[in-house]
Amino acid sequence: MKMKRILCVLLSAMMLLSVFTACGSTASEGGTTTPTIDEIVDSADIEACEIVFWHAMSNAQEEALTAITEEFNATNEWGITVTLVNQGTYSDLSTKLTANAASDTLPDLSQAYNNYVTSYLDKVVHLDAYVERGYDEMDYEDILESYRDENSEFGFISGVAFNKSTYLYFYNKTLFDQLGLSAPETWDDLITIGETFQSELGMVSLGYDDLAGLIEATLLQNGAEYISEDGAEFDTEEGLEAITYLMDLYNNGYARLVGEDSYFSGPLGNGLVGAYVGSSTGVSYISMIDGYELGVSTLPGNVTKAANTAGTNVMMFTTDLNKQAAAWEYLKFLTNTENTVYWAMQTGYMPVRTSGFESEEYQEYMAGSEAAQACYAQQDAYFSSLNFDGSYDVRTDIGSKFEELVLAEADGQTALDELVALVNGILQ
Amino acid sequence: MKDYSSPIYTVRSKLRPYKGFLYLLPSIVILCVFTIYPLVKTFMMSFMEDYNLIYGTYTGINLANYQELFSDEKFVLALKNTGIYVVFVVPISVVLSLIIAVFINDVVRGKALFQTLYFLPYVTSVIAIGLVWRWMFNSNYGLINSFLNLFCFESIEWLNLPKYAMPALIIFSIWKSLAFNILIFLSGLQTIPQDVYRAARIDSTPKMRVFFRITVPQMKPIIVYAFMMGFISAFKVYNEVYSLFGGTDAGPANRAITVVYYIYAKFYNNHKYGLASAAAVVLFVIIFVFTMIERYVTRDRDKEKSK
Repeated sequence: MKMKRILCVLLSAMMLLSVFTACGSTASEGGTTTPTIDEIVDSADIEACEIVFWHAMSNAQEEALTAITEEFNATNEWGITVTLVNQGTYSDLSTKLTANAASDTLPDLSQAYNNYVTSYLDKVVHLDAYVERGYDEMDYEDILESYRDENSEFGFISGVAFNKSTYLYFYNKTLFDQLGLSAPETWDDLITIGETFQSELGMVSLGYDDLAGLIEATLLQNGAEYISEDGAEFDTEEGLEAITYLMDLYNNGYARLVGEDSYFSGPLGNGLVGAYVGSSTGVSYISMIDGYELGVSTLPGNVTKAANTAGTNVMMFTTDLNKQAAAWEYLKFLTNTENTVYWAMQTGYMPVRTSGFESEEYQEYMAGSEAAQACYAQQDAYFSSLNFDGSYDVRTDIGSKFEELVLAEADGQTALDELVALVNGILQ
Repeated sequence: MKDYSSPIYTVRSKLRPYKGFLYLLPSIVILCVFTIYPLVKTFMMSFMEDYNLIYGTYTGINLANYQELFSDEKFVLALKNTGIYVVFVVPISVVLSLIIAVFINDVVRGKALFQTLYFLPYVTSVIAIGLVWRWMFNSNYGLINSFLNLFCFESIEWLNLPKYAMPALIIFSIWKSLAFNILIFLSGLQTIPQDVYRAARIDSTPKMRVFFRITVPQMKPIIVYAFMMGFISAFKVYNEVYSLFGGTDAGPANRAITVVYYIYAKFYNNHKYGLASAAAVVLFVIIFVFTMIERYVTRDRDKEKSK
């Protein structure tokens, strides 16, 4: 009797202990985030394993990603299984990555904007050795330069460009034709369009989906700078000119805020606004009501042209060398010419490779898609925002500050001062 | 025959008072891990300057976070908004639901149907409800504006203009919180002895008088309970803001920001862990004071009863 009880107590104590130790052991995996060319596992020696890939894709995008991944799982020679885990929206994904960085439980692979990881850069695997060893028959230089730059802005190759889009000018072609207008090339054109819409139709002609992106692009288009680690760089003559131009667009009633509609695709389709600037992937969300035709064009410029690019890269977090090599094989597959073209045609994103753009299949697709043509046409104007500690805060806060300024009908100088103060408050 | 003087029995009898703890152990462990530890950690984080969640580093232990917090106009706005929210939503919701509950209780046929109908908002996802209300508040196509137009009022841009952000949030939240209150009031109404009502009917007491002299006094403990639960949950409002304004910002220019929304934004968007913790501590203190008031009120009532 007594023995039984003691045994009972011992067993439960052991169970408790094993629970605690089990938690502890998974965290310390060993391995490295900075593998050298000598350390990395040879492609021939990769052992079968499971790779967990977090993403924030939905609908057609998720379907296309799943199709590519299933093909990889079925055909790869190593027995690698990539498991896709949908984490919801981009902001959900960012939140979960942060939380898991703190507990050292990051997934093997994840979609991520560079500004997600600035506070835990040392947990991102350096891909330099893998790139150096080769991209098989594909060339690393084949990936668009602006994407390569973006993925090496931290001083090492931090990820592989995946779902890339740019901002375009979407407009109501029917109304533009009616008013004798054509798609704008310059800032002045935008003002002419604004005046015409206002006087002829009593309508607002312009909207911007992403205000933070708008501010940055407008500054760059005027030859001004945006932000650096030291704070705001646009407290200059060019900066003032750009912000004044922006505020005038709103104060004169040529542009309006998106408000309750969240995105301008709805109001444009319903004929409530003449045109808007938004992501190239938004084209699938625009449905024009009967009688209206959609037009797509490149972003207008001023001193120079500048077009925002958006979309995430895929980053690696696993410290296990075998898993890294396996995940690298998957990344190569995901972004090879054939798959990047398939991906672009299914989703409205752009191919990340020049060979993708030039492929017969994509050229054919582009001939039938005004949006794809516009993306291609403004390729030389692409820029991506720089990322450093605090840049994400600027991005989240500057949009609502600008909204406040528009609602208060602030003039250019006031707006500039307040935006500079906000940025410096965050970064300094 | 058992030998009760043997050492094993002495030990057992000495340990007996602690046996209860063994049964409590599972819940104590869970409570410690998921409630007490985060609470303590939040307190500690709120005093750490430049706390880094990922590496656990900080530059000093001081009141810097609290200083920054109270000089941040967004937080002051969040406090003010939360105050306004609590003051409007809780009393209006409690009074309305009491009235509705009395009406439902008086319905002879289809009582169950009405009970279910009014309880639906409580079991529906707040995100789904938010979507519906966003359409109802829409300035061009919204039901609420067509209703206003019907009575010759002008359309209101509920979700576009900052000054209407809080009113829209309050209207939405009152409607949403009715369900739970109606439920507890209905169950309360059923415990009032019918004799009292019968006596009132014999005396042909006016309905209003019955309501204020019989129903309300009999329901007093439940009304107090509804108020307190309402206050505590209203201080923690977040879901309603998130769902009504589409999850990107707390309304136009962030004008409808509440304390919990502020905490979440500072923690996850801006990675200001110390600042977010300080805001959480301030909210904790406010709710703690209210809970103490609740305990004080309920204790008083118990004493009266025992007299």
